[in-house]
This record gives sequence, C-alpha cells and structure tokens, in this order.
Amino acid sequence: MREPKIGVYICHCGGNISDTVDVAKVKDAIAKCNGVEVCETYEYMCSKPGQDMIERDIKEHKLNRVIVASCSPRMHLDTFRRAGKRAGLNPYLLDMANIREQCSWVHDDKQLATSKATTLIHGLTERVQHLEPLEAKTTPVNRDVAVIGGGIAGILASIELADKGYKVYLIERNPSVGGHMAQLSKTFPTLDCSACILTPKMVYVSQHPNIEIVDMAEPIALGGSPGNYQVTLRIRPRYVNKEKCTACGECAKVCPVKQFSKHEEGLMQEKCIHLPFKQAVPAAYVIDKDICLWFNKGVCRVCEKFCKGKAIDFEQKEETRQVNVGAIIACTGYEQLDPSRSKEIFDGWNVFSQYGFGLHPDVVTNLQFERLMLQGMHRPSNGKPPKKVAFVLCVGSRMDRGIEYCCKIGCMNAIKHSLLLLKALPEAEPWIFYTDIRAHGKGYEEFYSKARGHNVKFIRGRVAEVVPNGDNLIVKAEDTVLSRHIEETFDMVVLSPALLPNSGTGELGKMLGVDLGPDNFFLERHHKLRPVDSRIEGIYLAGCALGPKDIRETTVETMATASKVATFLGKGEVTLSPEKAYIIPEKCNNCEECVQYCPTKAIESTSKGMAINSISCIGCGICVPRCPMEAIDLKQSTDAQLMAQIEGTSQEDGNRPRILAFLEKTTAYGGADLAGQTRIQYTADVKIIPVPSTGRVGLKHVLHAFVSGADGIIFIEGDDSPFREDGIRDHVNNMKKQLSKFGVESLRLVSLTTTLPQYEKVVNLFQTFDERITKMGRIPTENRKKIAEAFAGGK
Amino acid sequence: MSNHRSHQITADMTDPSFIEEIKKMPGGDKILDCIQCGVCAGSCHARFAMDYSPMQIMKMAHLGLKQDVLSSSTIWICASCYTCASRCPRGLNIPAIMSGFKNMAIRNNVPAAIALKPKFHKAFTEIVGKYGRMHEPELQIKLLNKTSPRELIRNASLGLRMFRQGKLKLQPSRLDPSTKFSEIIKNASEEEAKK
Amino acid sequence: MKYAYFPGCSIHASAKEYAMAANAVNKFLGIELVEIPNWNCCGAIDAVYAYNPLLSISLSTRNLALAENMKMDVVTLCSACFFTLSRANNMLRENADMKSRVDKAINDAGLKYAGGVRIRHYIDVLANDVGFDKIHQNVKVPLKGLKVAPYYGCLIVRPTGIQRFDDPEHPTSMDRMIETLGAEAVDYPDKTRCCGASLVMTDEEVMMEMTKALLLTAKNAQADCIVTPCPMCHFNLDAKQKDIESHFNIDIRLPVLYITQLIGLAFGLPPKELGLHRNIVSLDKSLAVKNIWHTN
Repeated sequence: MREPKIGVYICHCGGNISDTVDVAKVKDAIAKCNGVEVCETYEYMCSKPGQDMIERDIKEHKLNRVIVASCSPRMHLDTFRRAGKRAGLNPYLLDMANIREQCSWVHDDKQLATSKATTLIHGLTERVQHLEPLEAKTTPVNRDVAVIGGGIAGILASIELADKGYKVYLIERNPSVGGHMAQLSKTFPTLDCSACILTPKMVYVSQHPNIEIVDMAEPIALGGSPGNYQVTLRIRPRYVNKEKCTACGECAKVCPVKQFSKHEEGLMQEKCIHLPFKQAVPAAYVIDKDICLWFNKGVCRVCEKFCKGKAIDFEQKEETRQVNVGAIIACTGYEQLDPSRSKEIFDGWNVFSQYGFGLHPDVVTNLQFERLMLQGMHRPSNGKPPKKVAFVLCVGSRMDRGIEYCCKIGCMNAIKHSLLLLKALPEAEPWIFYTDIRAHGKGYEEFYSKARGHNVKFIRGRVAEVVPNGDNLIVKAEDTVLSRHIEETFDMVVLSPALLPNSGTGELGKMLGVDLGPDNFFLERHHKLRPVDSRIEGIYLAGCALGPKDIRETTVETMATASKVATFLGKGEVTLSPEKAYIIPEKCNNCEECVQYCPTKAIESTSKGMAINSISCIGCGICVPRCPMEAIDLKQSTDAQLMAQIEGTSQEDGNRPRILAFLEKTTAYGGADLAGQTRIQYTADVKIIPVPSTGRVGLKHVLHAFVSGADGIIFIEGDDSPFREDGIRDHVNNMKKQLSKFGVESLRLVSLTTTLPQYEKVVNLFQTFDERITKMGRIPTENRKKIAEAFAGGK
Repeated sequence: MSNHRSHQITADMTDPSFIEEIKKMPGGDKILDCIQCGVCAGSCHARFAMDYSPMQIMKMAHLGLKQDVLSSSTIWICASCYTCASRCPRGLNIPAIMSGFKNMAIRNNVPAAIALKPKFHKAFTEIVGKYGRMHEPELQIKLLNKTSPRELIRNASLGLRMFRQGKLKLQPSRLDPSTKFSEIIKNASEEEAKK
Repeated sequence: MKYAYFPGCSIHASAKEYAMAANAVNKFLGIELVEIPNWNCCGAIDAVYAYNPLLSISLSTRNLALAENMKMDVVTLCSACFFTLSRANNMLRENADMKSRVDKAINDAGLKYAGGVRIRHYIDVLANDVGFDKIHQNVKVPLKGLKVAPYYGCLIVRPTGIQRFDDPEHPTSMDRMIETLGAEAVDYPDKTRCCGASLVMTDEEVMMEMTKALLLTAKNAQADCIVTPCPMCHFNLDAKQKDIESHFNIDIRLPVLYITQLIGLAFGLPPKELGLHRNIVSLDKSLAVKNIWHTN
C-alpha cells in the first residue's frame, strides 16, 4: 500500500459548526497529524465549490484518503464519496467525522467542543490509514419466485408478479388453492359474494403462463442464499391424475366411504374420493389415504373401475421436488381456535370451553355459519330454520394469559351474519353479545349503523356460558350497560373463535429463518416502515400469516409484498455492499465456533474450508470477536481500522474522563443524530464511534481503549439489531467478567438497547455514566501499562 | 353514588389512595387490568343476591369509591367459587380481591351490608385460634343472638337431625400444647393489629 | 401408595361417613392415608382470611410444614381444604412479603416450610394414581340401572392456576368413576355450579337458592341420587335438603352420597361400614338406591 496521503476538510456549516467549534484551531492541530497532507476549512463543504475543492486536491496532491469533518455521514456520505469518485478516488477511501450533530450542536462549551472535534478527527486520521479500496459486487439473481400458501394472499401475489413477467411457483399444501376465503359466503361491508371475487382469480392463476400451481406440496428444506434459493418440496400423492381427471364425479357416486368435509367445516359429509369443493382449482378429485379402504384394508378400488378417463392411479407416490427461486413469499394464513379445548392448550387461569361447542350441534363457529348460509340457513340439529340466534364474540381472544390479541374480524363478521340472517329469514332475531364493537375499516361503521337500524340486538357483555338445554341453548351474560343478568334461550349460537397462525407456521419460520413474534405469527422487520419484510433478505411476508386481518388489508399487504419482490429481483442482479465479513484461511482451524453466532446463517463449512456467503452476510460483525483464532475480519470495519480509531479517539489533551461510545451505526447512531437535531446538551466527555453492530466489538478492542487512554466504554445497540433480545447484554456481561482479570472495574463498561426516537434515553445514559466515571476517577497510567502487559502476555 | 339513585360522582366521594391500598393486597396488583367485559358478572352464581355486580365493584375501585365498595353487599356475598376468575380474560383473582375488601371493611370499621358477616369471620377465627380446629356448635352459639327467629327454628331442627345421625361433635378437639400452636396465633394477631 | 392425610374439620364431625367409606374402600385400592399429627384447621377458604389474611395463610402453611416433615404428598377429602392448602402454596411462591411474614409466624412454633409439598384431592388419587381399571376390578355389585348425578362443585376444579387435575368447565373424573362402578352418569348443566357452602351460616337463604338450582336440574335430568366429593357441598345438598324443600315448597327427594360411599356400595361393602346410616336424606327416598343399599 502506498504511503497514506490524507486530505482533511473541516466544514463551518454556515456557522452551525464554526460558531461553537474553533475550526481554525482544529485545522492547525489536525495538520500536524500523521499522514495528513492537506487540511482545509470551508464554509459549506457540501456545496459545489466545497466538492470541487476535494476533487481538485485529490488530483493535485495525489491524495489517497479523504476525511470530511462536518455533519452526520447519514446526511452526505454518498455526496462526498461521489465527489471523490469523480476524481478517481475509491469511495471506500473517504470517511466522515460527525462534528455537528454529535459535537457542535450538543456542546455549548467552545473549548470542550473544539477539543472533542479535534479528537474525533484525529481518531479518523488514524483509522483511514488502514482503509482499503473496495468494490461493490453484483451478483445475478434468479428471477423466479416461490409463493408459499395458496389463499387469497398467495393468489394475488402470484398474479401481481406473474403480470410483471416473473415466473411464480404457487405452493399450496391442500389439493386446491383458495384458502379460507373459498369458504365464505359474502364479505363485509359490501356483501360481495366471496366466491364471485375469488374464483375468477383462482382460474386466472391456473391459466397464467407464468404461474405454476404446485398443489399437495409443502416446503421441507431451504438452501442457497438471497437471490438464489433452493426450496425443496414434499408433494403428497393425490392418487388421481390431474391431467386426466374431468371432475365428472362418477367415482364419488360409488365410493363407499364417507367422512366429514373439511371445506364444510364438518357440517356435511363427502366421500373418500372427493373434489375439495365445487370450484376447486386444480379441478381434480383427490383420495384421502387415511380412510381409503384400499390403503387400509387392501379392498375396494371401486372408483377406479368406474372412472371412464382412467384417471385414478393408486400407484402414485410421494415426490420430492426442488424449485430454484430468487425470492420467497410466505403467506400461509390462519386457522381458527377450536373452542372445545381449554386445558390442553393453556395451562393457567383461563378457559374458553364454556361455550358448549361440541356439546350441542347448534353451537357453531362463524366459519361454520358461512357454510350454513351457503347450504341454506338451517339448524344442524334438525335442519329447520333458526329463529333466535346468538352471536358470541371474543371466544378465546383478548385473554391475558393466552391469546392476547383481538381477532380483528369477529365484530364485523357477526354484524354481517346478522344482516344476512335477516335477509334470508326476516323473522329471525339476531343478538350480538360483545365487549367492544370494532368497526375500524372503510365503510365498517356505516355497516354497523345499518345493523342497528335493522333491529339487531346488541348486548354489551362478554358471554359467561352457553348451556345446552334440551333442543335449545341458554346464553348467560351480564348486560353491563343495565347491570342486569341475561339468560335467554336461542336456537343457535355462533361463536367468534380466536385466530391462530396456521398449523406449521412455526416449523416454516424455523426453516426459512423468519422470526415469530410474541403472538406466534411471523414477525415483520419493522412495525411501521417494513411491514412485509422478514429479517431475511429475499423472504417476504403477507396476509394473515403476519397477524389476523380482513381481506382488504391482506390485498394491500400483498401488493406491497409483490412490489418488494419486484424491487429485489427487478434488475436481475443484486448489488452487494462490500462491507462484509470474510475468513482469513491461514488463521482458520475449522473449529466452526462462528457458525452459531451468525444471525443470517451466512457461515458454512465447505469442502474448501469455512466460507462466508457474501450475499447472506449482513456485515454485522458479530462473528468477528467470537473467533478464537482471530481468523475473521470485516471489510471497512477491520480490526486494524477499529483499533487505530480507538487509539486516536482515546488520546486528548486535558484531564477530563474519556468515554468511548460504540454505537450501532443505523438505529443507535441515528438516535444520537436525532438528539443533536433537538440541540439537547450533554457531556463532551463522550466520543462516539459508529460500528456495524456492537457485537463486532470484543474484549481486545475494549482493553485497547483502556490502554490508549479511555476511562469508560458505552455500547449502544438498536432494538432491531441482528443481536437477538438479550444478545448485547450477554455479550457485555461476558466482557465485564473478563475485565476483572485485567484489573479493570466492570462498572467501567455499560450497555443499552434503544429505538431511534429514544434519544433522551441515550443522552441520559451519557450523563449518568459520565458522572459515574468522574466519581471513579481516571485509570492511573501504571494500571494502563499493566493492562497492556497482561494482554500481551495472554496472547 | 352514595345511594343507588344518585347519578353523579363527585371528588369528595373518591379516595385516591384506595387503588394503592388495593394493589398491596394479594391479587390486588392486577386490579387496573380489568377491561370491564362483564364475564364475572355473567358467571357469578351469587349475583342475584348482590347490590353491585363484581364488574361494578372493580370499576368503583378504579374510581376510588372506597366507601361504596366497602359498604356493598357484593363483597360479603362472594362465595369464592372462582367461576369468575377462571373466565376473566385478564386473569384477575376476583375472589381474593373480594376477600381483601372484606378484610379492609373490617379493619376500617365500615358497617357491613350484611351485619352477621364480620361477626362470623371474627367468631370463626377466634374458635380456630382457641382450639386449632373448628367447633361448629360453639360457632352456632356465638352467632345465635344475631340470627332471625325463623333461622333459629330452622337451625334447631337441623341441629336435632344432625345429632340423631351422629354428625354433631359436642366436644371440641384440641391440639397438643407442645405444638406451640398458640404462638402462631399470637404472631399473626399482632401483625394484623399493626395494619 | 402412602399419603399424608389432611382430614379437615368437617371429617371429624358432620362428614364422618365420608372418611368411614374412604377407609373401607382404601384397603382394596392399596391406598394408605397417614393422618398428619396435630393438624389444624386449614383456614376454610376465607372464613379466617377475611379477618386476618396472614393468620389464614399461616394456618395452611403449618399443615404443609408438618406434611413436609413426613416427606409425602398431602391428600385431602375436602375440596375446600384442597383449595385452601393449595392457595397457601401459590401465595408463598408468588408473594415474597407474605412469605416472609408467614415464615416468621410458623417459626414461632418451631416450624419451617421449604415449599415442596404437593396437595392432591382424593378423587385425583383415585382417578390417576389408582386408575379406573383397578377400581373396576373390585366391583362386586355393579350398580346397574342406577342414575347418578356427579356434583363436582367449585373448588375441586377451580381456580385453574393451582394444581387442578380435571377440566374446569366440563370435568369427567367422577363421571368416569360412576361408569366404572356400573352406574349411569347423568348429564346435567350444573355439575360445577356453586352450592354456596361458604354462605350457609350467614346468608342461608342465598345459599338455599343456589343449592336449589342444582338439585332441581339434577332431578330433572332423571337422577336417582347425587354424589359429591366435598363435605361442605354434601352438607348443603343433604342436611339442608329438607329446609330447601319446605322453604321453596318443592319436592326433591334426592339421596346425596359421598363418592366413597358409592364406591363402597359397588364393592359390596356393608352399608354400616360406609356410614350410610348417617346421611340425612334417607336413601330410601329413591327406589333405585333403596334396592341397592338393601341388597348389600
């Protein structure tokens, strides 16, 4: 590497910096630093003349490193790097010192602010000497997409992407696509016929040249990396040849075995060989192996004899198939809580089996009510039309120790059902027992008003119990508005059970590396700004797999997800930041310690040794200090660079305590910038060093800081960090234990997790920690020498 | 709400320290979790005999209506059957809170809506304190002059029935003094007096 | 199977027959109940708790400390004792302040409680430790044709957070036991409805209203008799039945047996041994029951 020739540019920022920081003094001090060839100040570095100055100096003085000391890199890093690039300087050889948001704006003592600015820039002059030119890599991506889940979310996502020109594998574990929406009669609040809006989409999906429906299929393994995934599917046999089946139904007529239909929610029966439902897509029959006489007893096969198209094939076997895709959408939907079970699911205080479900045929779920509407509204017990119907909301929902969340659709469904009931049976008496009526969406409140106007009875009170009483049902509740006990007899009771993530969501999440939230649904990357991203690059989420919602919200999410996928795959290649971890083969002994720490599973053992997948790697650096052989490093935040910056930032004139704060560079650092914008004041003793993640900083860096002159160290991590939950706390606690061996008090180290807007929390920590370190006093010089010796000895 | 027909709650009716006092009793820490859903009121098997429903008591507690809560019949009628608690979506231990209110009423000398109740608790505790076990005949006698003539007659005929079937134990059992049982009584009684 | 036995105050007085029948039946089922020496009143739900919560928990804890010394699980016949003792366990675990005060109180009597005792209801032992098969093996007189309404009551199935062994809304342990004995378990909606036991001395009319409701639904479901696992409930259903009949001017005539007495009858044991002469509502009030107990 050539001798570093550094150009340092200190911005006045129109007084924002220069009013507090004596920029001339800083310039004089910095000009004397190692490697500094040019040191200038200017009014507005980001202006054209400012940038021109950088370009000119690079060419004239043959500068190979540039530092711009001005505002936060989150403002203008790209601006200045582009300026450097124009002059032929590799962008990764240009860095910035934040002497505005994190200095001039937050310290009003001019002397201290000036001194701190000098220190920060000095630290950078040491760091940049170790920078290397880096190139962003592009890698081609596979432009196919796997959509896991064939409900409305999966169907719409597939259509969006297929219309954009992507090839889509629509993977559905049931014999037909459609999901729960295929079971609905009408949708709220417009009372659109559900099948009328869904089935055209189902047909479109089956006929679209870019979409392949893989039915009877479930993913069992995931390989590869973002942009190049391999999804292994297990495909169960239908025992019917899809291409040959004409859905004539002759087989079902002669099949001797019956079972309760899943599509009809157990209210009607179907044969062992059956069409999932009339509008099924693919429109082919399927045999249920579990009850088929041939598979269980070796007899029958009558269906085969009667099939004119010779479509039945008992020899079909389970298959495995691999699809190669660039991105994955997980939209596996929901299932309903079974309201007959209590103790088995939840140990503890709450029960919800007091509603009589399973004890009387006329206690049904709202999904069963949908089927009854379509079959011609009747009581399951005697087939007669019901007169008085009770709708019981929040069954199993909104419970403290159990299912805490609201199902979001119960209220609207009950209102819809009441209106549909009255339309079908004008003499009927619907009663809705509620705790709150949630009518949040477009047109929902108006729909609710309509129900009130139609003489639907609303009783405010969570139902205590439903007691079968001969042919009828007694519903017991308190009308909390009147404080009166209600005990009414009904012909039918319709329950709104809680919604759960569909069975298998947890396993799928593990397979894909997608986290589950505390409600056991998939967890989005960010609640507000990234609601359909998962933590894993290239894997996206949509629909009820993320949490209960209505169809409209599912559609909106699906559009967002499809758009995200298109952005990711659109260019046909993915540009990767070069700021990634890499293995140093000479030092690596293949112990594989590192593998478990990587949050994106980017490290793997290959035939050629340990390797880090540069696409999966998110550059957090958590693996780096964990390697016992120091065989991993991180580009643009290498050990050499970090150690140098630590050393440079720990040296300062004066006897004030020196505190280094390592801030994770996105959220935590962003919070510190936000503090600056509000002009909140805090101690200048704290100097901030951005790091990809505080996990990247290990014991040796901390000790080096103490040896170099630091008296206290702060770690601040963003709460959306790849560190899981207690990661930073454990990381820091481990280091604290080690510190005592070197004679350093563990109280000289502190950590915090924060969200970006909680800057007051950060500032508060700076202040209280500074007080603590001031009280404890600076580390005596002899002690620093001892630490250095002990550390060297330990090696 | 100083009587059932008053429609206004005024500041002088509320006690801001009531909630803090409630939070100190076992089970009371969750009192503010109540979302007033009414499942407790709907489930309560003794609701018909109460002036306020359990749900209303919780609400009154939230608002600091200490006098109204402690002078209700609700807190005394609660039979600790736990039907409400097992169905409460917020997991409130309602019977424990009701028992806590009983204790508070006794300590605060609030005249009980059912006059016999505090006397019952006192008599029961005294007898157990004396013998270590319950002695029902003595309990009956202690409460005798507090019951109505109709109840007296009923109890007398029941007593006779029980005696005939050999179900009346006329002599109390006593614990061996070596167990130092009385020390526990002494300790707990002193602690309670301190409250 | 040996257990530390906590009888509770009722067993020695008004509920003697419950224990008599249990003792008679235990021999056949391999259950040995070792009475806790010098046990004290559990505290009776909130009879003491309302007056002095610390004393109530201390009373329960004293018994647990004594049982801990015996190194056995505690078994009780009474649902109220089952609840009251379990509550102490829970509270000591969750409420540090209460624990330290209780520790001090029982320390004054030279006792310590580490928290390791498990409390079981006798029905739990029958259903899960002995098992229905073993019970069935000992049935000499199958109670064919007898319609028995199982009345669980409250505190054997609730609250759900404390050591419960059966579903709080739709329990089945006694139903299964009844069927194991050859009888028919009657289905009626009030199996776990509160009888108002804790109100019997102070709010008799409220208690009668509550008990009346479940007696009537059991009767309307064609029950010949009711079985119960709790002395407090038994008192309300049995001893007070006549008062309820006269107060509301209705006819009930339902014999009320302890579950152990029913088991004893099915085992062919003599009625005197099962304390059947002590039940207040005469067993002769029901023809079906009359036939069986006179056969024995």
